[in-house]
Amino acid sequence: MSNEKLQQFMKELDGNLLSDDAKLSAEMFDDENSVICIKVEDREEFPIYMTLDEGQILCTTHLFGEDQVDQSRRAEMIEDMLMLNISIPLSAFSKVGGQYVMFGALSPNSSTDDLLHEIELLSDNVLDAIDAVSEFLKEAA
Amino acid sequence: MSIFKKLITALRGGATEVGEAIVDTQAIRILEQEVRDSKTALNDAKTNLTAIMAEKMGVDRKVKDLGAKIKEHEGYAMQALDKGDEALATDVATKIADFEHELNIQNGILEGYASKIAALKKMIRQTERNIQAMDREISVVKTTEKVQKANDLASAKFSGSTSSLRSATDSLERIKARQQKREDQSAAAMELESEESGGDLQARLKNAGIVDSGSSGSSVLERLKKQKEKS
Repeated sequence: MSNEKLQQFMKELDGNLLSDDAKLSAEMFDDENSVICIKVEDREEFPIYMTLDEGQILCTTHLFGEDQVDQSRRAEMIEDMLMLNISIPLSAFSKVGGQYVMFGALSPNSSTDDLLHEIELLSDNVLDAIDAVSEFLKEAA
Repeated sequence: MSIFKKLITALRGGATEVGEAIVDTQAIRILEQEVRDSKTALNDAKTNLTAIMAEKMGVDRKVKDLGAKIKEHEGYAMQALDKGDEALATDVATKIADFEHELNIQNGILEGYASKIAALKKMIRQTERNIQAMDREISVVKTTEKVQKANDLASAKFSGSTSSLRSATDSLERIKARQQKREDQSAAAMELESEESGGDLQARLKNAGIVDSGSSGSSVLERLKKQKEKS
């Protein structure tokens, strides 16, 4: 049931434009049809993964792994993230295993416009968030 | 243990070791088992609730009946008193006392059912909340695992420079650079367009005072008339 709804979301989102005309692509990410992978044009590095359960639609983007964090400043970064959480519109930080993520949750009855709004905000928030905490990340090798 | 504490305990497992599995699968299996157990408990609670509510309805009816009977017999007693039949009135009053005694008992049972129903409803709501929280957590962890696997696969394809491929700051820089390029391109395109339509030259001529920006239909007509007079 939820998989069918997710497929419907995928069809509705794929090819849609955001307010700045950036194009979305949406495709099933797994064989079980339980995750949609959404990419915003020009921001393909940070795909948004959409899942659905009885209680909510979850849009999640992976920011970086623990291995990218400067361990000597980890506590400082986490405190910053925690403080920042409330100011970020509709998205919040979280951590799954060794992955820092940003996510937004919506009602399962959301419209396509609601989803588009969420995706646009999350995508913007992700870039701003990485910018904000980049000082705590290790320089890329 | 609160559901959030339980989730943290389950999820901490693999999170401490960088590069290890997202969460050790054992913890997820335990969570999944717990969801199954909770769902069974939920079904039992719902069946119980239905049964108790049905029983309560039965008692409700009894209480109502007793109330009606008491009222009815009070009427009889009054009539007996009106007729001066004290003995009959006493018999009826005894009957009323019996009813009132029974009513007290049934009201006690009713209260018991009501508080049981409230407790069950609370428990059902809590269990549903817990199941949703655990389901959500399992789904998030599984999704992350899938994404992680896909990322690992992708970076293995670009063997060697895995760290730069996956660096968040690098990705951000790339996106910013692309955005800048796009903005530059559109600015250049606009400039080109205004040049092509002569906007640029006109603007420069106007700025230099060579072209009169106040030129209007009437001034042109005036000029043409003068030219005609000369010819």
